[in-house]
Amino acid sequence: MKQFIIIGNSAAGISCVEAIRTKDKASKIIVISDEDYLAYCRCLISYYLAGEVKEDKILLRQKDFYRENNIELFLNKRVIQIQPKKNRIILEDKTFLNYDALLIATGASPKFPDIAGIKKRGVFGFRTLKDVKEIEDLLPVTKTACVLGGGLIGLKAAYALHKRKIETKIIVKSKQVLSQMLDEPAAKIVQDKLSENGLEVIFGQDASEVIGNGDLKAIKLESGKVIGCSLVIVGKGIKPNIDLVKDSEIKINEGIIVNDFLRTTVPNIYAAGDCAESFDLTLGAHTVNALWPIAVEQGKIAGLNMAGENIKYDGSLGMNSLEFFGLPVVSLGIYKVKAQEAGYEELKTIDEKLKLYKKIILKNNFVVGAVLVGNIKNAGIFLRLIKERIDTSSFKERLLSENFGYPEIMDLVKEEKFYV
Amino acid sequence: MKNLYYDIDKCLGCKSCEIACAVAHSVSGELFKAIKEEILSLPRKKVLSSKGKNYPISCRHCKDPKCVDACMAAALIYDKEKGMVLHDETRCVGCWMCVMVCPYAAIRPNLKAKIPLRCDKCKDKDEPACVKACPTKAIIWQEEEIVSK
Repeated sequence: MKQFIIIGNSAAGISCVEAIRTKDKASKIIVISDEDYLAYCRCLISYYLAGEVKEDKILLRQKDFYRENNIELFLNKRVIQIQPKKNRIILEDKTFLNYDALLIATGASPKFPDIAGIKKRGVFGFRTLKDVKEIEDLLPVTKTACVLGGGLIGLKAAYALHKRKIETKIIVKSKQVLSQMLDEPAAKIVQDKLSENGLEVIFGQDASEVIGNGDLKAIKLESGKVIGCSLVIVGKGIKPNIDLVKDSEIKINEGIIVNDFLRTTVPNIYAAGDCAESFDLTLGAHTVNALWPIAVEQGKIAGLNMAGENIKYDGSLGMNSLEFFGLPVVSLGIYKVKAQEAGYEELKTIDEKLKLYKKIILKNNFVVGAVLVGNIKNAGIFLRLIKERIDTSSFKERLLSENFGYPEIMDLVKEEKFYV
Repeated sequence: MKNLYYDIDKCLGCKSCEIACAVAHSVSGELFKAIKEEILSLPRKKVLSSKGKNYPISCRHCKDPKCVDACMAAALIYDKEKGMVLHDETRCVGCWMCVMVCPYAAIRPNLKAKIPLRCDKCKDKDEPACVKACPTKAIIWQEEEIVSK
């Protein structure tokens, strides 16, 4: 009988546990979380804040999941150090636990800008159920809120506050929203949708100071303009939680470096999810892709390998799907190519009036990215063309056609016998 | 466990299956009432053509379903006994992650209802509506093992 330890109780941690249990019902599994809740759907916290999802629907698994899978769960406990040579971890209270195989799935934390007053009461990250519960407590006394950052987290937070009838201003440093996943034409359509629905975005500005005595009263922008508000949500990106492996044998960069088997540089220690830096298929280099589906996939493969399998991970890629006020948007892989970069080709169609935009990026006839706004059908096919590296030269001109779909690629992929 | 298979040489691309599917999943269950429903019932099956042949496309209920892994709301589960991906609409938030990862593009977003649509093999009925509707018997409803042989 072995002892498996999993640090982290979210997407990667839970899928790891489930994977281990498909192979090994007997060994001991310990899951440690520094949060105070059973695993929940982290991506739903904005829906929870908006009032669209109630607390009972935010749980990731049934309450008896841990008992049924024979898992020892430690909540509200922080691991402060990993000692790979001794195969053990040290908890905050100085107790230690030994493992045969360990998964680090510690996730990530919001980045806060280094400006005066950022620690004042009323300034929040947007990552945990605790964050949203504290934000929610302030809503009855909040008239105006500012959201720093126009990325996915910022926009989702702003959307939720808007739904709760809070006047919300989004402050964005760059010239467009979602600059990490959309090109300008796509972002423009999203921006139009936001402003039509009464969400104000201020571009080209960063907050330079949080003003107030104790409690926050206002945000000062670089331009000198002051916006009165009693709530600030920061959505300025995330940083992987890797403090506990610093100064150890485990190699880190921005995140914990993992190989094709989700192993770190220490063979019986694995990492998965937002804290892991894995090989990115479209970039051809290691990067942190902090995304729910990727965390689930990585957790699963890490778990199987911890239980003795030797399964190779295909690699990650940046991908996201979102929806604002009925407008669906999907971004896959490389979403923007610098002018005149050799070998790249962009196919696109746009109808600003109907809020439709479709763009495929090819490199030497291989799809490396796509942006879809308004109509997202075939997103899965494009994702597949990227992941399976399928040469599109024989059907490239039909990629954007209304009738394009699975039958066009059927002969090029491994097809099960559904068609006889 | 029964699955849907297709005899491509018999498929005319008439889309009778699409209409039957939309009607079967409408509130009223009748064509002329269904077209007047506030949220229009959409087909969970689409017939697409390639190289002169027609291919009905719908959820295959993959054994290693990408959509279940991608679902950030835990609204999808794979039921091994039924051999089906089950969708809990009360948990679904309409984020379209499942649409994004489906390798067959067989999940359609119903933007108005904020619900992704997929074939449910007409779960309460003994035979899916598309099978009944196909005029050339191109849609085959049978046990999985028989075809894979």
